[in-house]
Amino acid sequence: MLKNKKRKITKSKPKRNQKFPIKTVERKKPNRGRLYALNSNFEFFQELRSLILKASPAEKDQLTKRISDLGRIKLAIISGIFLNYGDNFVFNPVADLFIVADDINKRKLSSFLRSLEAEVGREIKFGLMEKDEFEYRYNMFDRFVRVLLEGPHEKIINKLGL
Amino acid sequence: MANKTNTLDNLFGSKVRVKILKNAFRNYPADFNISELSRRIQEPIQVVKKEVAVLAKVGLIRIRR
Repeated sequence: MLKNKKRKITKSKPKRNQKFPIKTVERKKPNRGRLYALNSNFEFFQELRSLILKASPAEKDQLTKRISDLGRIKLAIISGIFLNYGDNFVFNPVADLFIVADDINKRKLSSFLRSLEAEVGREIKFGLMEKDEFEYRYNMFDRFVRVLLEGPHEKIINKLGL
Repeated sequence: MANKTNTLDNLFGSKVRVKILKNAFRNYPADFNISELSRRIQEPIQVVKKEVAVLAKVGLIRIRR
C-alpha cells in the first residue's frame, strides 16, 4: 500500500556536457577488514613462541624428499628460517633455500614454494641456478655463492661433492 | 620419529590453527587480516575465521582496529 507522501519533485537540468544521468563516484579504498595481532601479554606467549618456532630434524628430511621430487637436483642448501639455532640467533641470509638443478619443473617448483611459504609462515628467500652457472660462479668466487657457503647453512642435497 | 608439524597439529587439534600460529609468530609483530592470512597459508577463509575467533577468545590474538 502506497502512502501518500509529500514528495519534493525536483527536476535537475542535466549539465551541458553530461549525456548520461549517472554520476561518477570516486572509488573508495578497499576495506581490508578487521586487523588482528598477537597479544604479547598473553600468559604463555614466550612458551608458545618457542614451541611454534622450533624446527625439527624430521621436517628437514621431508623437505629434502620434496625437493628431490622437483627434478634432477644437484645441490640444495638451506639457511635462515630452516636452521634451528634457537630464539636468540638472528642473521640475514642471502637465501633461505638455494637449489642447483637442470631442467626443473617450473610449475611444480612454484607450487612447492607456495606451499612451503604457507607452512613456514613467511616469504622464503629462494635462489635457483643451473649447474653450469653455479660451477662457473663457484670457481670465480662469486659473492653470492661465497656468502651463502661461508655463512650458517646446511647442504641437504649435495651431488657436487662440495 | 614423529613429524613435528603433525605432532603440533594433533596437540592443537587443528592444522589450520598451527599454520595461523606459525604465520603470526614468524611475522610478529606485524598485524594481519583474515583474507590475506587465508591466502598466505592456503586454507579456506571460513576455517581461518573460526580458528582466529578461537584464538581471540583465548586472548592470544587481539583486534587491532
